Amino acid sequence: MSLVRRSLQYYWRTNLAVVLGVATAVAVLSGALLVGDSVRASLRDLILSRLGKTEAVVTSAQFFREQLAVEAPGAVPLIVMQGVVTNEKNGRRASKVAVYGVDDRFFQFNGYSQSPPLGNDARLTPELARELGTGLGDTVLLRIEKPSAIPRESIQGRKEDSGRTLRLTATNDAPEFALQPSQGDVSAIYLSLRRLQRDLAQQSRINTLLLPAAQFPKDKITLDDLGTKVRALPSTLSIETSSAVMSDALVAIVQHAAGGNAKPIFSYVANSIRIGDREVPYSIVTGLSNELPADGIWLDDWAAKDLNAKPGDDVALDYYYWEPSGSLVTRTANFKLTKILPMTGIAIDRDLTPEYPGIPGAQTIGDWDPPFPIDLKKVRPRDEEYWKKYRTAPKAFVSLETAQKLWGSRFGKVTSVRVEGSDAAAFSQKLRALIDPQMLGMAIVEPRAPALKQAEGSTDFGEYFTYFSFFLVISALLLTGLFFQLGIGQRLREIGTLRAVGFPTAKIRRLFISEAMVLSIAGVVAGSIGAVAYAAFLLYGLKTWWRGAVGTGLLNLHVSGESLISGAIAGVLIALLCVLATLRSLKRSSPRDLLSGNRAVEENPKRGTRWLRIVAAFAILSALALVGAAFARSIPDAGAFFGAGTLLLFGVIFFEWARLRGQIGTVTSVVRLGIRNASHRPGRSVLVIALISSAVFLIVALDAFRRPPVAASDPHSGTGGFPLAAESQLPIFWDLNTPTGRENLNLSSVKDAKFYAFRLRPGEDASCLNLYEPRTPRVLGASQAFLGLNRFSFTETTSKAENPWLLLDADPKDGLIPAIADANSITYVLHHKVGDVFDAGGLKVKLVAALDDSIFQSELVISEKNFTRAFREEQGFRYFLIDGPASNEAPLEDALSDYGFDVISTPARLAAFHRVENTYLSTFQALGGLGLLLGTLGLGAVLLRNVMERRKELALLRAVGYRSQHLRTMVIAENAYLLIAGTLIGTVAAMVAILPAFLQRGGHLPNPSLALLLFAVPVAGLAVSLIAVRIVARAPLLETLRAE
Amino acid sequence: MLEARNISKSYPTPRGPLPILNGVTLSLASGDAISIIGPSGSGKSTLLYILGALDPPTSGEVMLDGRNPFTLSDKDVSEFRNRQVGFVFQDHCLLPQCTVLENVLIPTMVGTDKNGTGKNGTEQRAKQLLDQVGLSHRLDHRPAELSGGEKQRVSIARAMIRDPKLLLCDEPTGNLDRHTALQVADLLVEINRTSRNILVVVTHSAELAGRLPKVFELVEGQLVAK
Repeated sequence: MSLVRRSLQYYWRTNLAVVLGVATAVAVLSGALLVGDSVRASLRDLILSRLGKTEAVVTSAQFFREQLAVEAPGAVPLIVMQGVVTNEKNGRRASKVAVYGVDDRFFQFNGYSQSPPLGNDARLTPELARELGTGLGDTVLLRIEKPSAIPRESIQGRKEDSGRTLRLTATNDAPEFALQPSQGDVSAIYLSLRRLQRDLAQQSRINTLLLPAAQFPKDKITLDDLGTKVRALPSTLSIETSSAVMSDALVAIVQHAAGGNAKPIFSYVANSIRIGDREVPYSIVTGLSNELPADGIWLDDWAAKDLNAKPGDDVALDYYYWEPSGSLVTRTANFKLTKILPMTGIAIDRDLTPEYPGIPGAQTIGDWDPPFPIDLKKVRPRDEEYWKKYRTAPKAFVSLETAQKLWGSRFGKVTSVRVEGSDAAAFSQKLRALIDPQMLGMAIVEPRAPALKQAEGSTDFGEYFTYFSFFLVISALLLTGLFFQLGIGQRLREIGTLRAVGFPTAKIRRLFISEAMVLSIAGVVAGSIGAVAYAAFLLYGLKTWWRGAVGTGLLNLHVSGESLISGAIAGVLIALLCVLATLRSLKRSSPRDLLSGNRAVEENPKRGTRWLRIVAAFAILSALALVGAAFARSIPDAGAFFGAGTLLLFGVIFFEWARLRGQIGTVTSVVRLGIRNASHRPGRSVLVIALISSAVFLIVALDAFRRPPVAASDPHSGTGGFPLAAESQLPIFWDLNTPTGRENLNLSSVKDAKFYAFRLRPGEDASCLNLYEPRTPRVLGASQAFLGLNRFSFTETTSKAENPWLLLDADPKDGLIPAIADANSITYVLHHKVGDVFDAGGLKVKLVAALDDSIFQSELVISEKNFTRAFREEQGFRYFLIDGPASNEAPLEDALSDYGFDVISTPARLAAFHRVENTYLSTFQALGGLGLLLGTLGLGAVLLRNVMERRKELALLRAVGYRSQHLRTMVIAENAYLLIAGTLIGTVAAMVAILPAFLQRGGHLPNPSLALLLFAVPVAGLAVSLIAVRIVARAPLLETLRAE
Repeated sequence: MLEARNISKSYPTPRGPLPILNGVTLSLASGDAISIIGPSGSGKSTLLYILGALDPPTSGEVMLDGRNPFTLSDKDVSEFRNRQVGFVFQDHCLLPQCTVLENVLIPTMVGTDKNGTGKNGTEQRAKQLLDQVGLSHRLDHRPAELSGGEKQRVSIARAMIRDPKLLLCDEPTGNLDRHTALQVADLLVEINRTSRNILVVVTHSAELAGRLPKVFELVEGQLVAK
């Protein structure tokens, strides 16, 4: 033991270098892992702090009673929406702003110090205030969608004026509350709950409850909360909904509750009932009974007389129908009159028609402001008399099946259900017991657990930074091994002496391993401290220079023992492996060799050199084969050339190794002598060349993967040939490609634009811009018109198809909806592959194709047909791809500002995604460059060691007349040869690797800063050589020549 | 003509200067061959290095053909050592990465080509010297492939490449067996005879010393003829 201690002390200089090498490797490995921990912990902290005290949330597709907050202990009522906020003074606008209607209960619940906003006051979060440039007291305009119980996409739904603008006075310092995880700053506005309820015409109603515990008395939820009501009629009950249409599921439950005594009814407005040239305008037609044949119609007596009708007559019904694509069309259905009903019973039952808004209070037909155009000139005094007497009683009846076929939509095919009975309360109770609130859009979710899972993140930064720091680790370990080896070399005579006095080899190995263990442990301790510093440095980088990779500055350092220990163990193990490899090489040396300070000479050096040449030749031939395959178009260019470059790198390094084992050139000058000296220790020299050339190769070649800007015009590029993309905060219902649509939305200033509209289920960003793992990704519903275009490119599909988009058309098999996503999102964010099945937030999808680097990286795309089936509550269009001039961007935003219409150029959208990738590349190149420089500087120390080992030679040269400048020239020549050889080999191989990308960019060289790095490496190395030479020049050389 | 006049050399130590040489005087002419013997630590190598302008004396002067190398500039003293002095060390000090021929040519890669022999001329001379030392068949071999005696013969050839006036040998046979040592000793004597240089050999070996016409002993810092 004391021998180990003495040796450690005596050779402290070399040992210090070994410790530093191990410390660097451990610092880098542990530091990289700490970065991953810190990002995850920061994301966790963010979401937990933003959730406040919320343990569960009750959300609903429709507004429900605020009273529920009183009935659930500790619950907090609020209204949660999304809106667009504009600073009235400077016109700046922010979209996707979270809108919270709150009162003091919200602030008390979360323990916020701020007081609730009252009246016209609005609290803005600092991020929103910054984005808008608002100050205290500024006026802001909040634009939100007015809730509509009646689906806007139904004939009775209002499509215009779907938004509401509130003028508010801004105060800042709003709390950073959020229910959804997001790494960016919170952009939110808080206003008075009462004010918002009043403006939305939802007095005493809310759409969200925050709960302090994951418990909620579901029995307190009433039918009214679920938008359902049971109305007592003279001899029956009528089950209706606030949306004026009932889903199939609800109808089934009502039928079950009624025990088979339920009659579904479907009432609709006909523009006219015609027989010949006689017509009755604006009448209710009810699908009621299946007694009628499919093309049969009953008219009430009033209509029959008006039309002069008799059974057997042909009756035409004209009616409006709202096309899902966004246009109002008039259709006609033809029937045969089978019966004329007397004005009793169902013929005068006005309750067969739902109570649409505006109808109950309308005294005349003219008073009613329907959500579709009517020609009041057609309304005759006779019609107004009917209205006065019979109101909304139907004038015609068709079979239920026919009514459902003609007028049914995804929202439902029944407007009410008649049930026998008179006790509305009892039936309500029975019905309520059978309804699961979730079925009608009311859900209770516990946000913490999923959010914490999402905070694990889609991107493992620990893993990424381990890869990025690869060269730093390699450089550090290489130097560790080299310095240990140098230390051994320094002590060869000592080892020989120990052998000569009887120490067995195993004992000597144990001594050195003990020393190595002590050095490694010292390195680990120092490295663990360094790890924290390295992680802090990387996090600083992520918040500043590399912010493009994470999109947030809200990252803090979290130190976890697990990562420190992992890095330490890895560092120690690898360092010990280096040491064992070094000790193994001594086995061959005899004590005599060791005593004379030499290692054993290789038995058959020529054989070893021959093998090196064979391997080198094989690698180079393989490289040529790959290039040939690229020209023959057998494999993609990028892969072929990168592979060729890599093989070329290996091949040339092996050739150089073989060359160094022989004689390099002829020694006819001091410079050539210096170059020849590189073959003195060929293994060491080739390590230098290999490290430098590999680092240069990777750093330069990776630049090939940097995404260049994409032209918008190519239909097979990532933009699909669309110059513009847009997203609307408020849904747009009109088809923007029709004159009516353009007129309704005031798009006259927009020229030559063609719109491809998508439906949108809001959700989490599925791209690399989102650090949180998306569990409910955004989903787009693509129209048939878009699918037929066959634009964009695909990397993979589940089956061969000329137009892979059409794979989305398939009906769901086993409940799986076919979906397409971008390849980057599939692999790196969702962690799936084409063909996989997964739950995309309540939607079971199967990935049928992957897009190639497209603008769809934030979402999944399904067909509009499947979308409307899956997302009944999502209406209108909110995402658009726009053909036409890019100059339409500003006119579109202006014209549709009321909808919060944000337009972005598609190249800019792609560039935002590319920024993340390119930032990762820059990070790798920066850290790789750091590793390269570290290696270069460390190798300078190795050079110094080399020179010190050859002091006797240098002394001899001085003795035969060489001057200091000759020795300097020789040393510099040797080092320059290694550095330049390494840089040249790496650069040439890299240029081969990136040739396709180089040509694609029109011959522009990679990132200019790379040239600087490549220049810095040899310069740094040469500078270190000069230092080494200076030290040598000052050392007394003559003592080494003495015999005594 | 080599003249060393009143050479003294002492080394600084923490306890004060340690005198090694004390007024050594020596005068040698072309063709002279001497050996210097003495106990270990007597200053034999020190005197050799002073004569070869590798180490300056504390006092006294050295003149070779009327030139005192210690008065020359660094450039000129290097040139002096390159052209006028040849060294043979106990540890041959061959460059392991160079061949036998290249090792011999090492001194010719610096200094001026005063003889105008050119590159070919020097290479020719190197081959001749190697032939003379019996190694013409090993020109392309590296030092690791030679025996101790062969290495020492290469170092002798190297020392002679510039045909120096002064050939200084520090224990040239110290690492060799008797038979090889005698071969090397004979070689040195032969070269002295043919080239008419001044040969000074520092040695412990009485046998080697006996091969040379004059023997001096260093005793208490003074050179005494035996």
